[in-house]
Amino acid sequence: MIKAKRIVYLAVVLALAAGPIVLAQTAYSQRAKEIATKLKCMCRGCDMSAGLCAHPGGSFSGPCDTAKGMLKEVDAHLAKGESEQQIIDAFVAEYGSLVYVEPPKKGFGLVAWLMPVAYSVVGLGLLVFVVRKWAMKPPAPAVPAGTAGAAPNEALARARAQASRETED
Amino acid sequence: MDVFGSFTLLLAFVCAAYAFVGGIAAILTRHPLLVKSTRQAGMATCVLIFIATFSLEYLLFSDNFSQAYVVSHSNRDLSAFYKVAALWSGQEGSLLFWSFLLSIYVISVLIAYRNKNGELMPYVGVVLAGVQIFFLTLNNFVESPFKTLAAVNARGMLEPFARMDGNGLNPLLQYPEMVIHPPNLYSGYTGFTIPFAFALAALLARYPGEKWIHLTRKWTMVAWCFQSLGILLGAHWAYAVLGWGGYWGWDPVENASLLPWLTGTAFLHSVMMQEKRGMMKVWNVWLVFCTFLLCILGTFLTRSGVVSSVHAFANSHIGPWFVGFLMLTMAVCFAAYAKNRDYLKTENMLDSMISRESSFLFNNLLFLIACIAVLSGTLFPVFSEWFTNNRISVGAPFFNKVMIPIGLTILFLTGVGPLLAWRKTSVDSLKRNFGWPLIVGLLCGVAAFALGYHDGASVLCLFLCGFVTWTIGMEFYRGGKVIASRTGMGLLMASHELAMRNTRRYGGYVVHFGMVLVFIGLAGAAFNTEAQKAMNIGDSMKLGKYTLVLQSADTKAEKNYTAQRMIVEVLEGNKQIMMLYPEKRQFQGTEQAAGTMVAIYSTLREDLYVVYAGMDPDTNMPVIHAFLNPLVKWIWLGGVWVVLGTLLALAPNRRAALVMAGAPQTASSAIAQALNPGVPLREGHD
Repeated sequence: MIKAKRIVYLAVVLALAAGPIVLAQTAYSQRAKEIATKLKCMCRGCDMSAGLCAHPGGSFSGPCDTAKGMLKEVDAHLAKGESEQQIIDAFVAEYGSLVYVEPPKKGFGLVAWLMPVAYSVVGLGLLVFVVRKWAMKPPAPAVPAGTAGAAPNEALARARAQASRETED
Repeated sequence: MDVFGSFTLLLAFVCAAYAFVGGIAAILTRHPLLVKSTRQAGMATCVLIFIATFSLEYLLFSDNFSQAYVVSHSNRDLSAFYKVAALWSGQEGSLLFWSFLLSIYVISVLIAYRNKNGELMPYVGVVLAGVQIFFLTLNNFVESPFKTLAAVNARGMLEPFARMDGNGLNPLLQYPEMVIHPPNLYSGYTGFTIPFAFALAALLARYPGEKWIHLTRKWTMVAWCFQSLGILLGAHWAYAVLGWGGYWGWDPVENASLLPWLTGTAFLHSVMMQEKRGMMKVWNVWLVFCTFLLCILGTFLTRSGVVSSVHAFANSHIGPWFVGFLMLTMAVCFAAYAKNRDYLKTENMLDSMISRESSFLFNNLLFLIACIAVLSGTLFPVFSEWFTNNRISVGAPFFNKVMIPIGLTILFLTGVGPLLAWRKTSVDSLKRNFGWPLIVGLLCGVAAFALGYHDGASVLCLFLCGFVTWTIGMEFYRGGKVIASRTGMGLLMASHELAMRNTRRYGGYVVHFGMVLVFIGLAGAAFNTEAQKAMNIGDSMKLGKYTLVLQSADTKAEKNYTAQRMIVEVLEGNKQIMMLYPEKRQFQGTEQAAGTMVAIYSTLREDLYVVYAGMDPDTNMPVIHAFLNPLVKWIWLGGVWVVLGTLLALAPNRRAALVMAGAPQTASSAIAQALNPGVPLREGHD
């Protein structure tokens, strides 16, 4: 089995050395490749865009057959004079929303884009609120012994003393 | 050996259960013998897990193909080096490996503190035993690595059965880095268990917040360092093996490893707020809780197949276990916090809006936003399916768009933070401190533009890199100058002395510098170019200033694979620079798969990255795929600096008194004042 495989390889290399007559030609246009970087390769095995599919682990690390098919499809759409957006829409109609490499900025996909903005706004708001609150706080007044506020502080001080008694480092 | 292995695992489970239950009893009764016996049970658990792990390794090394795990992940021809790695290449083994690494930490903690912190350690032991019980449950009852093969014989009975050879190791993993990347990453994941255990223990034991931070400082740094290194090694592996020309694809599993790193980094910074100013005790406890939960979540995402990924090797049924454990841990954290939160009371006070303190608050906010953004982006496909029945993919372009602004803001703060004094910074000193770094940054930005890097984010990034580097340099220069004038040393030696006296602070700056280098490398990604061509012998293709000529091809047969190798001559103009040998490997074993060996000509300016993609199935000609990736090397250099900086931060401080014997007492505090105006001296806490 192994031997047979080696022979196959040897044949391949010999064929290479002899120089096959087939001319190199890409089966798809550069423009198709550009557009296909915005479409996910639907082979479900590589998790890359169809334009950049390198299919790790596959026997050919170029675009896999699925990606090639998609690239050709893009070219077919281009030949009909469709715009990039029209082509993407056509693919979404065909494959569903899984074909996006990034969520669309409409419908539920918009939520994905708004999420980080929302976190930033809320986070920043909270931070400004906290900073202002802390900065406005007057220096802690010394609590006179025996007042109502002393109890939790005493407990805390006791716990602190206990902690330093019981640990070292 | 398999029976022995599974027996030790079972025994480990029993010991851990005893350490847990007995530990609780020890806390309640405070009986010294019970305390001692539970601690020893904790150690025994670890030793038993070590033995079980070595048993599995023994089975792998002895080619025992009656074992299901050995059959699935090894074969006779696999080299010894990769037989070690086979341990963590599958679900069962990697979970055992998790337990193994956790045990290294646990036993270190138990031994290091065996005579210390008497009252706190039983609590710590209980928390650690709790985590170990969870993983041992998986190891023993859900995903046992010691399953034997069985077949039905002629009489219809099951009997043991052994295969002649195994399926071999996943070829993508047969690469030297794959032997060190997972242990590093897992050491990061497991390492955060220690600060978590101390934080929870201190809370349960009603210690005010400062103690556990002090105790776990170095453990956290060790975990963080492993995590950083693990992430970078993973990126390098993806770059050098997967052959797609990139190093980071925002794959769910990559994201999962980034999440605890982000909160862990936030934590490393915010502990300083607590040590210096006694602030943010509650926040720190929750940050470390979240970091631990994210570590578990990361393991869960990697192992459960909830999100599709090239890394999620197996879709399995362990998901519910992880969800259950996450829920339980969260519940315990909430309960402990609700009960004892009074002991974390903090006097949060800011003297000024412009101060080191507020810059740390921003730092934490940004790291947290980054973490939540990555998390929600990773889980968004799952959400979208829930809400709309339509799975919407979230790929790399989304993450790049969201994370670049966040990353650059964090980089900016890296430069600003050290310029701000604790408590209060006057506008005057700001102007004085910001002037030069800004000018240097601008020069870097202009230089980048002039060199042809015409991309907004990249130029901004390089501007910030210059800015940050200058502020870090200034920190060393200012402190070094003071020491130089006091001791008469040269400035370079004085800076070294300075770093050794306050290793944590200056180690931190070295790490920052490492991150600057990483960012320089990331800035290059906007300018990647590529070309792909089916070539005959003698054909050439151009990429940038390089010309690639396919000289010849050969095959080589190794024990475990056969490789087709392309011999590519690289020319710059008419001058030959070097030969590159990209390979395509076909691995043996029933699991037929191929691997690429990328050939990289790497300079500081750019990487010429050449892949032999294989024979084009349509034309039957060899296809060469070449990438020109600027500045990538800086990322790996940055990684080295990050590790060196962490090691420096871990080193103990050198005492100033030794060097300045006889110098007046005030000298060291004068230095401290110069370094850190406005703050009373507290050694080694910066």
